[in-house]
Amino acid sequence: MAQILIVDDSSTVREEVSTCLKNGGLTVVTAVDGKDGLVKLKADPGIKLVVCDVNMPNMDGLTMVEKIRGELGNKTVNLIMLTTESSPNMKERGKAAGVRGWIVKPFKGAAVLETFKKLVA
Amino acid sequence: MKHTPVSKLLVLDNDPLQASPIKNFCDENHLVPLKVREGSVMSVLRTNIDLGGILYSEDYGHSPKETALIALDIHAARPELPIIIRREHQATLVGLPDDSQHIYCAAYVASDMGALRKVINDYIFCLMYPNALLRGIAEITQSVLIGQFKGLNVTMDTPYIVHDRMIFGELFSLIQLESSWCRGYMMLQSEENPLLEMIGCEGPRNPGATFRQVNDLLSEITNLIWGSFKNRYIGDEKTVASGRVQIPLIVNHKHKYISFGTENPQLCFRFTLTDERTGRASILYERFIFNLNWSPEDFKEFAPDTADLVDSGELELF
Repeated sequence: MAQILIVDDSSTVREEVSTCLKNGGLTVVTAVDGKDGLVKLKADPGIKLVVCDVNMPNMDGLTMVEKIRGELGNKTVNLIMLTTESSPNMKERGKAAGVRGWIVKPFKGAAVLETFKKLVA
Repeated sequence: MKHTPVSKLLVLDNDPLQASPIKNFCDENHLVPLKVREGSVMSVLRTNIDLGGILYSEDYGHSPKETALIALDIHAARPELPIIIRREHQATLVGLPDDSQHIYCAAYVASDMGALRKVINDYIFCLMYPNALLRGIAEITQSVLIGQFKGLNVTMDTPYIVHDRMIFGELFSLIQLESSWCRGYMMLQSEENPLLEMIGCEGPRNPGATFRQVNDLLSEITNLIWGSFKNRYIGDEKTVASGRVQIPLIVNHKHKYISFGTENPQLCFRFTLTDERTGRASILYERFIFNLNWSPEDFKEFAPDTADLVDSGELELF
């Protein structure tokens, strides 16, 4: 059972974020795009937080979070976007889909680790 | 760091009386002259992949026929490079051998360097790049590189204009840039081994790094630069209308050549990553090719709303 699902098509980002969170004592599972993310989330009821990129192949991150709240009916998992996008329109779409927070890349683990721990507690 | 673009010119002119005027002209017009020894033109063309054009002369060969033959060889090797020929008496192509006239883009005479300036502006500095864009690209890219290669020194050359379509190194990334004022591509080019060594320098995080990790790293660097570019210069505008023109790109692996289907010059930035501890260095070329639209008069830079400002890497909770 993992606490956090990291969804990013970049293995560099998956590796960087996973390493940081694991070093902080959190358990992590990764997915390579939105479709894979949905599969991994369905398979692991222990996941409390999804950290997700926006621009990905096959299924983008905002579509994925909309499906998590809609098709999967999962209203409780915390959703945070980790992306190069910072436009207000994107954030509004994320908010409307139930996204809890937004991080503009690059990822800085020290800045978010404690908040992540609270979100999975 | 200067942000006014320069351009490298290959100077093939053996007249000693022209050396000083050409150098002065280049100094005054943001040009970097590369003088080539007789007989080594083709090897220089093979090793220089970031040229803006060629200054040639009517008497470069020992006869008009030889001059034409050399020019034809150069044109065959690098047809994308504009060749500007210096003539003794007239700033036209009239009277040159018929079979070579078409390879020159223009002619000039030494007594009228003002006319040469116009030719340079027409063929090399024909696209105007706003200073804010040049400065911003440099800032964004340096910031991304410093973030991805922690502990390494990142330096940048003055940006320059190239006509070359040669591919540097073994790997490159491409990403589309779309806005109301520009449509084209950003391309990053680099060599695999120096980047592998750079990743290896980061220690246990990347034991046994392979080319796939290099690919992924270049992809992420591209993504980060693209994202920052988009946030700063494109904003939220709805830019992609249906039915917009697309043109095919051509990549020729054998000749390490890429064409974006346009004669437009490209804006190039060259970054050097250096590990001061080992002396190892890696070069990264960043090129901007606005092949589908370039309207700098509509360029705009989006200032972040300071009331909502959240630093990159910080979590903004809704």
